[in-house]
Amino acid sequence: MRQIATRPALAFMLVPLPLILFLMLAVVFAPGLPRDLPVVVVDLDGSTMSRQIVRMADATADVEVVEQLTTLNEGRQALVAQRAYAVLMIPAEMEHDLLRGQKPEVVVFSNSQFLTAGGIVGRSLSATVSTFSAGVSLRLLESEGIGTDRALELITPIPVQQSPLFNPSLDYIQFLLSAVMPTIMQIFICAAAVLSFSRERHSPNGMARLLRLSKTPTRAILGKLLPYTFIGTFVLLLGDVLMFSFFDASFRGNVFVFFLSGFMFILTCQAMGAFIALIAKDTTGALGMMGLIVAPSFGFAGVSFPRFGMTLFSQVWGAVIPLTPYLQLRTDQTLRGAPLEYSLPTMAWLFAQLLVFSTLLWIMTRKTAGQGPVSADEAINETREGNI
Amino acid sequence: MRNLRRFVAEFFGAIRTLLADDSAKSTMIVGILIYSILYPQPYVGEVLRDVPVAVIDQDNSTASRTLVREIDVTEWVDVTAFAPDMETARDAFYRRDVYGIVIIPEGFEANILASRPAPVAAYSDGSYLLIYSNVMRAVATVAGTMGAQVNYARLTALGVDDGVARTMLSPVTVTNVAVFNPQGGYASYVVPAAFVLILQQTLLMGIGLLHAGRKLPTGGRLWATIAAYFVLYMIWVAFTQMLLPFLYSIPRTGEFGTLLLIAIPFICACIAMGFAIALAIPWREGVVFLLVVIGMPLFFLSGISWPVEMIPDNLRTLSMLVPSSTAISAIVAVDQMGASARDVAGAIQTQIVLTVVYSTLAVGLSRLPRNRRQ
Repeated sequence: MRQIATRPALAFMLVPLPLILFLMLAVVFAPGLPRDLPVVVVDLDGSTMSRQIVRMADATADVEVVEQLTTLNEGRQALVAQRAYAVLMIPAEMEHDLLRGQKPEVVVFSNSQFLTAGGIVGRSLSATVSTFSAGVSLRLLESEGIGTDRALELITPIPVQQSPLFNPSLDYIQFLLSAVMPTIMQIFICAAAVLSFSRERHSPNGMARLLRLSKTPTRAILGKLLPYTFIGTFVLLLGDVLMFSFFDASFRGNVFVFFLSGFMFILTCQAMGAFIALIAKDTTGALGMMGLIVAPSFGFAGVSFPRFGMTLFSQVWGAVIPLTPYLQLRTDQTLRGAPLEYSLPTMAWLFAQLLVFSTLLWIMTRKTAGQGPVSADEAINETREGNI
Repeated sequence: MRNLRRFVAEFFGAIRTLLADDSAKSTMIVGILIYSILYPQPYVGEVLRDVPVAVIDQDNSTASRTLVREIDVTEWVDVTAFAPDMETARDAFYRRDVYGIVIIPEGFEANILASRPAPVAAYSDGSYLLIYSNVMRAVATVAGTMGAQVNYARLTALGVDDGVARTMLSPVTVTNVAVFNPQGGYASYVVPAAFVLILQQTLLMGIGLLHAGRKLPTGGRLWATIAAYFVLYMIWVAFTQMLLPFLYSIPRTGEFGTLLLIAIPFICACIAMGFAIALAIPWREGVVFLLVVIGMPLFFLSGISWPVEMIPDNLRTLSMLVPSSTAISAIVAVDQMGASARDVAGAIQTQIVLTVVYSTLAVGLSRLPRNRRQ
């Protein structure tokens, strides 16, 4: 604790910095859903009907028509220069063809390099054209002498009722922010544990002195890590309070289970960080190694791209990182409100990680306390892994 | 000539210094190589296929079985379970055995035969957007195709002419063409962008590790050091933007010349910023810690995964102080979308301004008494 107080820079990095980052991300995701994303229109028809399609597209919440261009080439230009995420192209003679019963083709070019935005505008524009088409269909059927209600039934013979479970508005705050926050927290907790243990590990006789002071490896570990555990839990709590109160993220689970998971998650991250600090050669090396393991963990946790779609290696690698079970538990306990029994296996998994990392840490603490600081000769003999 | 020879010697001296420092070497060389292998791993499948779904078929007729079979053969989902009721399906769902539930109510076939609407329901998990869109796409597509067939049969039965019936049911066809990333692959979307950020962060860290809290090299030696970092990172730009996409079969269309026009000012801006940070925070661990934690938030500010239009203006302006905020999408545009230098002129200008700003800042910081004393 004294060490934290004496280093204002470290103190800043442990509490205000994560909160500043949370707030910043919260501000970024505050809208919850992307709205009025820019698209351009290439209307080669210029008829009453084509203008109606453009008006309909502009009226949807997702899309805003920012420019009307005259050639497809200009439309492509707008995509490349990132002035728009999609081009809606209405072919020449569309109205004319439509009235003569030749099916004209409207094309939506969406920029899939920006997967999220491109997907949203692509779907929205396609839906607009389909709606327009259904309207025309209705009029045609009525002109054949089929009644309006009957015609409506004919247009959608198999309606699909689509229901998103647990995230009714398909809101990104629920989806991204609640996953990104713990990811950033994991980096902080690991890094803090690395710094705290590295200081002893890489100073002359630091570990031996630490052990003399605290008698047993267990007490040494607890004494070094507990202050950070409290800070970490406090910051995670603050972040969650922000999420659930300010952003109305849904919480349907069991508060106790949720906090227990968070607490276990923090302990596991600390054990992992401290263990890395003890096997690495110096502090910056330990931080670098931690960064390599923790920084890509968001991808491996399966929030953006699901785990069952990954290669075996990625599934195994992801299973070792504390973030993976914790994010599952969060989803279970916040959005899904899953009954406790479904979360138990995941909790056991997180607990197993905690046990493994703690045991490794305990062994390393004993081992390093028995020896002096790493001497130059030993450093050279250390495995390559220590250098990473 | 002698000057040049001395410069070359100092240049290699700087490279040797970098290689001699284990932390810097593992950050600026070994780390990037490991990232190249590790980072894309979760996404190498590119497209999410065969999401496991459970079906509750309460109708159990020829029509409903056809619908289920058609859903099963799409590449988006895989019917892995038949549940007798919602209870069982929900249980499989909570267990994460399935990620979607399709319900075909009783009377599905009878409704179709009687020319009544025959609704079906699809549920999926809204907390995983990729999974949700796969499930909905599969069910909606199959229901649409099957519905069109049913309709067509009805109209022709009413004596409507074949061609007219087709036109009546879908007078306008709409085609959605995905450009620049035709298969909508996840690796194609995230990998090129992430590596721009990885280059920036490792370069800033490396400079912090080598120079934070230490005496700066002077005169010609400083220029040789800068040149060494520059050359090393230009090699990395080529490696991550040209070779990596090739190795992971990510489609790319960019021209190397145009890529250089944005990459050169970007790397210069990063080097200048690196020195400014190293002079501002004379504590090596502090520099690394700070850079490790801000990596992910910086990615969300780049506009790749979350549209820049949605980021509040003040925050967007503030984020431009970091080279990656404008460089990521510009480099992706050049490399993946074949943008010309004119298309990304704004980003190129921003990088040049940042280079000047951070160089000035670094020079200013180096004159501080604290840094002169060393």
